[in-house]
Amino acid sequence: MTTTSSRPTPNLAGDGGPRSIANPLREGLRLGRMPEPCTMVICGATGDLTERKLAPALYNLLLGGFLPPEFSVVGFARREMTDEQFRAHLRDGVDEYSRNRPIKESIWESFAQGIFYQRGNFDDLDAWRELSTVLDRIDRDRGTAGNRLFYLAVPPTLYPDIVRQLEAAGLSASGSARPDGRRGWSRVIVEKPFGFDVTSARTLNKEIREVFSEDQIFRIDHYLGKETVQNLAVFRFGNGLFEPIWNRRYIDSVQITVAETVGVEGRGEFYDQTGALRDIVQNHALQLMAMFAMEPPVEFRASDLRDEKLKVLRAVREMSAGDVALNVVRGQYVSGWVEGQKIPSYRDEPEVAPDSDAETFVALKLSIGSWRWAGVPFYLRTGKALPTRVTEVSVQFKSPPLALFERAGTPNIEPNILAIRIQPDEGILLRFGAKVPGPGMQIRSVNMDFRYGSSFAVDSPDAYETLLLDAMVGDPSLFTRDDEVERAWEILDPILNTWASGSGGPLHFYGAGSWGPPAADELLERDRRAWRRP
Amino acid sequence: MASAMTHSHNGHEASRAEIELAVHRRLMRFGEAESRVAPVWAEADTTVRAVESHLASLWTMAGDEGPMVTEKGLPHARASVLNLIVTVPDELSAERVVGTMLGLGFRHPSRAIVLVADHDARGPSLDASVSAHCHAHQGDEQVCYEEVVLTVRGESAAHLNGIVAPLLIHDLPTLVWWPGDPPFASPVFDQLVEMGDRLIIDSSDFSDLMVGLRRLATLRRRSGIGDLSWQRLGWWHELTAQFFDAPRFRRYLPNLNRVIIKYALPPSSGSEPPSAPDDPVPGAASPIAQSMLYASWIASRLDWKRYATVEPLEAGRLVLTLEGRYAMVELRIEGIPSNKVPAGDLLSVRLRAHGETGAAEFIVDRDGDEAIVASNADGMTAQLRRVRMELPSESELLANSLMTDRHDEVYEAAVRAATIFLSSARPAEEAG
Repeated sequence: MTTTSSRPTPNLAGDGGPRSIANPLREGLRLGRMPEPCTMVICGATGDLTERKLAPALYNLLLGGFLPPEFSVVGFARREMTDEQFRAHLRDGVDEYSRNRPIKESIWESFAQGIFYQRGNFDDLDAWRELSTVLDRIDRDRGTAGNRLFYLAVPPTLYPDIVRQLEAAGLSASGSARPDGRRGWSRVIVEKPFGFDVTSARTLNKEIREVFSEDQIFRIDHYLGKETVQNLAVFRFGNGLFEPIWNRRYIDSVQITVAETVGVEGRGEFYDQTGALRDIVQNHALQLMAMFAMEPPVEFRASDLRDEKLKVLRAVREMSAGDVALNVVRGQYVSGWVEGQKIPSYRDEPEVAPDSDAETFVALKLSIGSWRWAGVPFYLRTGKALPTRVTEVSVQFKSPPLALFERAGTPNIEPNILAIRIQPDEGILLRFGAKVPGPGMQIRSVNMDFRYGSSFAVDSPDAYETLLLDAMVGDPSLFTRDDEVERAWEILDPILNTWASGSGGPLHFYGAGSWGPPAADELLERDRRAWRRP
Repeated sequence: MASAMTHSHNGHEASRAEIELAVHRRLMRFGEAESRVAPVWAEADTTVRAVESHLASLWTMAGDEGPMVTEKGLPHARASVLNLIVTVPDELSAERVVGTMLGLGFRHPSRAIVLVADHDARGPSLDASVSAHCHAHQGDEQVCYEEVVLTVRGESAAHLNGIVAPLLIHDLPTLVWWPGDPPFASPVFDQLVEMGDRLIIDSSDFSDLMVGLRRLATLRRRSGIGDLSWQRLGWWHELTAQFFDAPRFRRYLPNLNRVIIKYALPPSSGSEPPSAPDDPVPGAASPIAQSMLYASWIASRLDWKRYATVEPLEAGRLVLTLEGRYAMVELRIEGIPSNKVPAGDLLSVRLRAHGETGAAEFIVDRDGDEAIVASNADGMTAQLRRVRMELPSESELLANSLMTDRHDEVYEAAVRAATIFLSSARPAEEAG
């Protein structure tokens, strides 16, 4: 049995709410957060995401005993399919991508009894009404109590239409808002990207909000479902040692790196319209920064956490066109070698315009104008076709006020570094100076390296497992709120606009397998700093 | 010294030596395990200080040869989370300890100190061996632990705390695992329990379950007690609670009026469960322990009180009447000889309740490493489903116990209820 999910989640969202009478047998048990009986409706169920992520996540939750017995799944999509075929489709996903394999036949068979498929076009209201009938029947037969979780596994352009259909078919209301007095909740999970600039994000949020209230909406940023991101909060607020030095008085600068070794891998068309800034910085990198930099929340609960993250984002200074040229470097990879594989130039990838100027790399310097962080630069970089796959936040501390050992012949002592690795090899590394044994005074930096994997030999759940369970329980802590999304776009919009207007500096080229263009190094050298080589 | 309790030893030096040798052969399997990363160091007639300095040298530069334990050519950065003190009272326990500990290495970086203590033995007062093990986990990650096996003879065996204390890693939680039937009255037991933050036992091993549980209830540990028999009930607790997570079934909970628990007895015994000390089946001393803990768990959660004894405990079978808030509850525990699951494991649980629409029944039936779960309520057709019920190995149970460092109040309440039920379950002439 795994021992996960003991995160405290006292105050849940108001839709359906915590149970009125507690189950006395639940007290003290391993799984303190059992979701209520519910049906998960996957819109666009025949796609890749269902097979790769959702089916394995559901199966692993089932094996761990996290799903209530009544739990049911309904696939909803355009393609003609029987229940049996849809079950086989999910099963293929488990067979191929689950962290627990091989599949346990009889358990899967039993689970599959609660999996159904409903064919329908998203623009056909009757299809949604039929879906509604099917859901009512499942409520009756399987006791799912009117609770529905809609997973929109479709391109974001379809979100507005789908939520309107959900409303028209009477499927969107929760609790007391339901017309016929029936109980139960409705929630909706959407995937990124949430818009492509601030205007489109606001429009999208507005359109979804016309149907669902904010506490019904769960925006997935799968980075937030990762254990180490949650550990960041424990590291900062569960220890007395770090928080007192977590500010401008002791911290010199912060670097956030999200590096991928792969190129665009068949997503050429999508990526060419998106670029690294929208694809990674808008969500993952800024969320990491917010988790790193936020003030201690009053309580460890969803609304407080998200309020604090928003405060960080609000304090980020928006850039003028001149700032963009100075503080942002964009790059695009040309052919090179990564991990022993030859990667073609970005412009030679399928579905990419031959004169594309989409950035596959971006490095930027942000400043957070808050009491805690004023004057501390935050350097963010992300890119494709970089030498290693790594996500980390590293903190460089200020040097000691006196170079005490300079006189003893040790001129430059390296600054202390604290690196928090998110993936792979999740862990924390502290770099500090130590005296080399022997006569004289020689100082060398040594690493103190803590890895979660060698302290807890327990498999971590996949981010989707954590997030799906949270959405079923109704805990939005690890999902992004509308105002966070919009604020992140407000930070990036000036950069996107400056680039679109042709100013803001050139697009630099870098060889696949390098750490981006030299201009990215110059960005730090100017401040007498250097990127960490993770 | 504990072996003196379980094996009569009327000056039989020859057989004592044989037993000792056999224990050691088994314990040496630590050193020979595949995961060993440094040569085993062993010394007869040694000192605590020698053991200490060898432990220190394991992970540091040792002369010209470099560190003994390396990872990718670098000195291994060692993570450690706990100390574990294990006592090995006899040969049987030695086998069990070796097996369990080898499995445990995967989970917890630790220092384990295995004690074989015999107050009456002759020979050098301290023999020791030290080995280091690392297991790969998730690619490059290594989980490492050190194993120190100490044989203590003569008078020193009465002062184990002085031997163990210098060998513990400072500032880490210390757990004491006492496999078998703990000698609750012995001062050595008190000494070791006093050194630890948490005591781990298996109540199925108690020769007298009621007396054992009573003692547990009076032991005051900083972070409580881990009972492997309680851990084994994890899935049973979970599946039982799941029935009543659904709001529509919750209302049956106060109206439960019958609980039938069936559990496995060792295949040969149709009668009195064996409790003779030479019985070789671990966990068979008190096979009713798990069922008793399960029953007293529900009873303590739902505030059921003892009311009457219908059938005192005999041949592994017991029937009591309990007083619930709204109804009288029949509690029936029944042992059934089985060779499919380990003795003491639950085979099935049936809960029955009265509702407005008639009787409701909630059933969990174990079937190998799966379970069939059914509910029949609300006049709805029985809902059947099959779920995983892989009962964890002893290593996993131990690992889970090591991960907790809190008092388990739910367990403690169940233990209190169990002692009350057990005292009323004694046949009339014994009941007191």
